[in-house]
Amino acid sequence: MATAQSVFLSGIVLGSLYAMMATGLSLVWTTLGIFNFAHGIFMAVGALVAWQVGTDLGWGLGPAAGLAIGVAVLVGIGFLSELVVVRPFLARRDVVLIAVITTLSASIFFENGTLLIWGARYKQLEPLIPGKVDLLSTAISAHEVLIIVIAPLTLVLLWLFLKFTRIGSAIRAVSQNRESALLMGMNVSLLYSSAFALSAGLAGLSGILLGSVRFITPSLGAEPLVKALIVAIFGGLGSLGGTIGAAYVIGLLEAISVYFIGLYWTPALLFGVMILVLLVRPTGLFGRKG
Amino acid sequence: MRLNLTGPDGARLLCLAVLVVLPFFVPSAYVRHLIIVAVVYGVVASNWNFSLGYGGIFNFGHLAFFGLGAYASAILAKTVGITPWVTIVLAGVVAVIAAIIVSVPVLRLKGIYVVLVTFAFSQLCLQLIMSQQGMTGGSQGFPLVPQLKLGDYSFASDDKFGYYFVALFLLVISTLYLERLVRSNFGISVVALRDNEDYAVSRGISLARQRLLTLVASALFTGMAGGFFSTYTRVASPEIFGFGPLSLALSMMLLGGTGSIYGPIVGAFVITIVSELMIDLGPARFLIIAAMIILVLLFYPGGIIVGLRRAYDELLKLRPTRA
Repeated sequence: MATAQSVFLSGIVLGSLYAMMATGLSLVWTTLGIFNFAHGIFMAVGALVAWQVGTDLGWGLGPAAGLAIGVAVLVGIGFLSELVVVRPFLARRDVVLIAVITTLSASIFFENGTLLIWGARYKQLEPLIPGKVDLLSTAISAHEVLIIVIAPLTLVLLWLFLKFTRIGSAIRAVSQNRESALLMGMNVSLLYSSAFALSAGLAGLSGILLGSVRFITPSLGAEPLVKALIVAIFGGLGSLGGTIGAAYVIGLLEAISVYFIGLYWTPALLFGVMILVLLVRPTGLFGRKG
Repeated sequence: MRLNLTGPDGARLLCLAVLVVLPFFVPSAYVRHLIIVAVVYGVVASNWNFSLGYGGIFNFGHLAFFGLGAYASAILAKTVGITPWVTIVLAGVVAVIAAIIVSVPVLRLKGIYVVLVTFAFSQLCLQLIMSQQGMTGGSQGFPLVPQLKLGDYSFASDDKFGYYFVALFLLVISTLYLERLVRSNFGISVVALRDNEDYAVSRGISLARQRLLTLVASALFTGMAGGFFSTYTRVASPEIFGFGPLSLALSMMLLGGTGSIYGPIVGAFVITIVSELMIDLGPARFLIIAAMIILVLLFYPGGIIVGLRRAYDELLKLRPTRA
C-alpha cells in the first residue's frame, strides 16, 4: 500500500510544521497570557530574510546562512515587537482583546513592509538538502525528511531549555505565577520578551522550512496559522505536550481527509472535529482550566 | 421621547443633518462613495460593538455575518431573482441563522477560546464559499449583482445619489435599534453578565440564552449591511472574510471607542477618510495606519469619541448662559 504510506508521510510533514507553529503560539499564550496574531507574518518574514541572505537572487551566502540569519533576525523582531505592541498594554484589564488588535496591527505593518521591501513577486527557497529519499518505500524529497527530523529535534531542545536551564525555569515560573516570580526578584519583563522572541524564532524557522515547499508570499503563514490555531485549541492551550500531540493528530487527519474527501471539505471536517472536542472539553483535550 | 438639544441629542441631530445635506453641497461622486463605505462600516462596527464592547463576547467571526449577508443577498437577487429590496432584509435573516450556528460552540467557552473558535468559523465560511464555485463564483467573487430600483429609477443613476440615502437610512435605523437595545432590560442584563458574570447568573440571568441573543442581535443589521454592500458594489467578494476587513472594522471600533454606540461610527468615518487621504502612498499607508492604531490605543484608551465629547462640552460652555 504505497498510498497509505505517502498519506502517512505527508501527514507527518504537516504535523511537524503545525507542531512548531502551535508550540510558538502556545508558549506566548502560557507565558504572557495573550495570543499573537502576527505569528503567521513572522513565518513569511523569516522565509524572506532567508531568501535575501541565502539565495543567488539575494546575497547568495547559501541556505545554511539563510536559515541561521533568518531565525536570528526573527528572534530580534520578536523581542522588539513585544516591547512595542505588547508590553505597554499588559496592565490593561482587557489586555487579551487589546493584544489581538495590536498584534493584528503588527501583522498589517510587517505584511505591507515586506511588500515595500521585496515586492509582490512570488519567491521560493532552495531546499536545504536537495534530492529525493526513499522512505517507507515512498520517494519523498530530502527536504521533507529534514522537516520531519528538525521539528521534533527543535521541540525537544525547547523542552530541555524550559526544563533544565535557569532562564527556562524562570519562564515557566512566570507563566505559573507572575506575582510570586516578581517577589522572587525575577525580571518579568525581560522574561516576557524572551518568551516572545523564542516564539518568533520558532515562527521564523517554520517559515524557512515551509518556504522551499510553497511559494513565499506575505500570506505564507496565514493558512498554516489557522491550522495551528485549530491545533492549539484541539490540544488545549498551555500544555506543550498536548499541543505537539494534537499537531500530529491534526496533520495526519488532514492528510487522510485530503486524500479521501478532498481539499475543499477538509477545513470543514477539521473545524467539526474541533467543535466536537470543545463541546465535550471546553478547554481542549489536554488544556487546563482558566 | 424628549430631546435634549443642548446635550448629546443635539450633537447627534447636527451630525445627521450634516450628512443629509452634504450630497447637495458636495457634488463629487467620489466623496459620496467614501461616505457610503464609511456608513456601511459604521453599521458593522457599531453592531459588533454591541456583542464585543457591551456583551464582552470576543466574537471574531463578526465579519462572517457581513460576508454571508453579502453573498446571500447577491445570490438570492441574481440566481433566484428576488428584488434586492427584499434580499437585503433576507441577508439579515441569514446572518441571524449564522449567529445561532456559531453560538452553539461558543456558549460554553471563555475568553481566548471564543476568539479562536469564532475566528475559525469565519475561515470555515470562507472555505465553504471558495469550494462551492458553481454557486458563489469561488475565488473570483460573485459579480454583476442586480441594482436597487424604484419603479423605473435605477439607484445607480445620478452617480449613486440614491444609494447614499439608502445607506444613511440603514445607519439611522441600526443606530436607533442599538439605542433601544442597550437601554432595554435585555441590554442591561448583557452588560451585567460582562461586568460580573457570577453575580448576574446568581440573580437568575441565563448566560447561555443571553449570549445567544447577544450574537443574534449583533448579526441582524450586520447581515443587512452586507446585503446592501454587495448590491451597491455589485459584487460579493471572498476578500470580506480576510484579515484586512476584520482588522479594519476592529480598529474602527477600538479607535472610535467601545464605550458607546457612536464611538465605532466615528471611528469608521475617521479611518475611511484618513486611509483615503493617504491612498497615493500605496502599501506604506497601512504601515502608518497600523502605527496610528497602536498610538491611539496607547494614549487614548477610551477612543476618539472621548476627545470629541470633551471638545463638544467645551464648545457648549462658550455659549452665553441664559439669565
